Amino acid sequence: MSTRGNTPRYGFLIDASLCIDCRSCMVACSVENNVPMDVTRIWIKETGITGTFPNLKRFTAPYHCMHCIDPSCVSACTVGALTRSEEGIVKYDKDACIGCRYCMYACPFEVPNYEWNQRFPQVIKCDMCFARLGEGQQPACAATCPTGAIQFGKYEDMLAEAHRRINEHPDKYVPHVYGEQENGGTATLYISPVPFEELGFPDAGTTSPAFSNRLVTEGTPLVAGAMLVGLTGAYLTIKHQKEEAEKERAEQTTGEE
Amino acid sequence: MSGTLSRRSFLKLGAVSAGALVVGQFVPPAVAQAATNAGLLNTKGNGYIPSMCEMCVWRCGLIAKVRNGRVVKLDGNPDHPHSKGHLCVRGQSGLMNTYDPDRVLTPLIRVGKRGEGRFRKATWAEALDFTASKMLDIKAKYGPEAMIFSSTHNLSQVQFENLLYAFGSPNYGTQRSLCFNAMIVANLMTYGMEEPERIYDDQLKYIILTGRNLMEAISTSETSALSAAIARGVKVVYLDPRFTKTAAKASEWLPIKPGTDLAFHLALLNVIIGENLYNRSFVENYTVGFEALAKEVQPYTPEWAAPITEIPAETIRRIAHEFAAAAPHALAHNGWRTSNFVNSFQTQRAITILNALIGNWNVVLRASGGESSSALGKPPQPPYPRASAVRLDGVPSKFPVVPLKIGVFQELRDNILTGQPYQAHGWFIARQNPVMSLPDRTKTLEAFQKMDFIVTVDILLNDTAWFSDVVLPEASYLERYDPLNPVGDKVFLRQPVIDPQGDARSALWIYKQLGERLGLKDYFQYQDEEDYLRQQLAPLGISLQDVKAKGYAQLPEGKAAPEYSWNTPSGKIELQSSTLAKVGFPAVPTWIEPPEPPQGQFYLLTGKVAQSTQFGTQNNQLLHKYADEPRLWLNDKVAADRGIADGDWVEVASQVGKVHTRVRVTPGIRQDCVYLTPGYGHLSKGLTTAFGRGASSSVLHVTYADPVSGGQALTQTFVTVRKA
Repeated sequence: MSTRGNTPRYGFLIDASLCIDCRSCMVACSVENNVPMDVTRIWIKETGITGTFPNLKRFTAPYHCMHCIDPSCVSACTVGALTRSEEGIVKYDKDACIGCRYCMYACPFEVPNYEWNQRFPQVIKCDMCFARLGEGQQPACAATCPTGAIQFGKYEDMLAEAHRRINEHPDKYVPHVYGEQENGGTATLYISPVPFEELGFPDAGTTSPAFSNRLVTEGTPLVAGAMLVGLTGAYLTIKHQKEEAEKERAEQTTGEE
Repeated sequence: MSGTLSRRSFLKLGAVSAGALVVGQFVPPAVAQAATNAGLLNTKGNGYIPSMCEMCVWRCGLIAKVRNGRVVKLDGNPDHPHSKGHLCVRGQSGLMNTYDPDRVLTPLIRVGKRGEGRFRKATWAEALDFTASKMLDIKAKYGPEAMIFSSTHNLSQVQFENLLYAFGSPNYGTQRSLCFNAMIVANLMTYGMEEPERIYDDQLKYIILTGRNLMEAISTSETSALSAAIARGVKVVYLDPRFTKTAAKASEWLPIKPGTDLAFHLALLNVIIGENLYNRSFVENYTVGFEALAKEVQPYTPEWAAPITEIPAETIRRIAHEFAAAAPHALAHNGWRTSNFVNSFQTQRAITILNALIGNWNVVLRASGGESSSALGKPPQPPYPRASAVRLDGVPSKFPVVPLKIGVFQELRDNILTGQPYQAHGWFIARQNPVMSLPDRTKTLEAFQKMDFIVTVDILLNDTAWFSDVVLPEASYLERYDPLNPVGDKVFLRQPVIDPQGDARSALWIYKQLGERLGLKDYFQYQDEEDYLRQQLAPLGISLQDVKAKGYAQLPEGKAAPEYSWNTPSGKIELQSSTLAKVGFPAVPTWIEPPEPPQGQFYLLTGKVAQSTQFGTQNNQLLHKYADEPRLWLNDKVAADRGIADGDWVEVASQVGKVHTRVRVTPGIRQDCVYLTPGYGHLSKGLTTAFGRGASSSVLHVTYADPVSGGQALTQTFVTVRKA
């Protein structure tokens, strides 16, 4: 039976209480990754201004690929253009992509973007700046964030820090690390002063369709085997019963004679 | 040219053309060679070069990633105290200033009528000879004072000043009176320095921000520090008529009535003095004039301030108590663009004095080193000629306490128009856009028409260049050297990370070339930019090569300044200022009633957004992409009453001009205010990205100068709003 994907090596911790909606992360990402002008890999989710004057509130959070432990996009991709690396980075291979955009429909977080205006369009999504990681640098968004709203590090450290902040400031955060359970768990983790649905985060459930899919797809041979055994058994049983019945009938006939 | 070019295709295009140039050209470009010598680039021309940002005046340290002779990414320099490894959104976008398809890459000479935007390309020799001959003509006919020189705060400013002083003109325009004159002059009168440094340490407990929108008007390290302080639980009280992104992060947002911050702070002083909550020993030892201050603020009770500020008296009293209880770990922040009303100088004085009363000196505030260092050398030069003419901006005759290096820019413009006390004939403008920045643009354009000759130095055909006779293309901040910049115990270097594109040249080169043609050769005794820097570094015994490699040099440890002394006439903190008294201004802060909008009109608020700096970054394609569309903020209830919906077009009119703009309906602004993002409504069609976007607040702004500091009262403009 299938197990969950391995624990990510790296993770993001994004703290909505620190985001000031300056969009430095968006520019840093676009420049680092040479993203065309009409699309973006990272954007800002927001509550809008809520409350009544002068008791107003507004919260924002940068939002990018969750790097799922069991990525639905990888599962949906028919040509292997999306893969999950050993470190837990969900990567995209533009040369393998056929542009079917199943990944966009499969992603419960509505993350993959598409270059609708390009002649040879690509899917646009965060790859954790793995090229920068290779040079010992942080991903561009985390490196530049002036308030530290985006942190990057070992996944375990990010998860522990998320819980530490919530435990130390229960008045300040909702008791929910978004991404710890969502879609079966993700490498990008969020904490927030307001419920995530108010920030416009999707309710992604706690199991990944990819995980359920795999249960089905990887379970098929077993089920088929079991069915073969069962059906064979049934066949043999029925056959045996039939033979017995026939024998009995024959005996009865003989007895009547 | 299309409004939005794909940056990817643009970079590819650039790479191809750069590649084409390299064929058959075996000598590596100068910058790449120098960077390779300094160990920053490998033999393939790839690597990282430390330099300094110029997307605003905070001047963060940056590290440029260079690939094949192109800069492909900028990151914050962890070694620089202003960036600490981060860059703000403007800093991240900086390379698109350099690679802006609208860059001016050759000198231009006007051929059409002024403002038609028709120019022809010229060589440097022709453009410089022409400029010098025009300037010499004006000098010969009308005297050197008939040439105005204006430039916005930048690292080459020292050589700009050198040019103007050597030329002999007293007429120097900076942008400061449109920004923070009130704060600077208040600090000079109180502490004897332009702006004390703020210390955000772990002890800090309480901050009052008077309109300092640090989460949108970003100064990277200070924005980081404020954010960390808030996360740590520091209480932040934020005064602003608008629910800004800072208001959203503050512990307490007070939507104060515009122009009444002075009343709020006078009431804080009243409570802190009246209830003996001040630091008595600090006040006795280190300040002068406490009695006069106490007497003056005695009537300014919270109950007095409440109806003026529209903040309840109990709130003001509570904040005074909280502030005093947090002393000395409490900060009353002076703010940044602080000239809002003609009483703004008094507001700034009240804020500086609030700090002094709780004795937070050397705890939360301390003496700042400023931007010059006596440890650095400079090229030798003869003394300047004496400028005998009075200044057109009324400093010091009309504005006796405004420093000469700061001036009153809007007054200068007004006296170009009046021709009093004499007529100006020429204007030399460097890296500045007065057509956009000065209040009442119509007047500024009229002043331009009074000029026989206008020359502008810039990287783009900005609105001022558009109306100029000669445009001299400057190298961008990623393409040039500037003089060294001392910060704390280090001096930082701006160095080119790529070669200048086209014929663009550094300001150091342009001023020297022009100086030589003006017969002022002896004032520019440096061979080139590197020679200038070597002369600066000579007393330190540090090689330029080392500074280029690290991006900075360590300064020798200076003599520790005496802990508690101030450069004021008394040597103490002047609660009562003898200087102000001498020239007939109130010596202690006093209430001055600001004007209010007539029935049915609104205060016109202005204020920064994170994605632009003043008037010079709206053409940056990255910032253009990531900034919100500039619209007029209008309170939701007011909009409903007037039948105006979000996105509707409106006409906004003041007594000096009108603009059309779309509306953003929001609960995040007082009902008596509207807000317009500054920096939009460009006139130059040479700015293909920015042209046609948004409306200009400068068209609406009425010209007022605070009588003490000369600061333009930017919020003292009242407007009508009607559906277009």
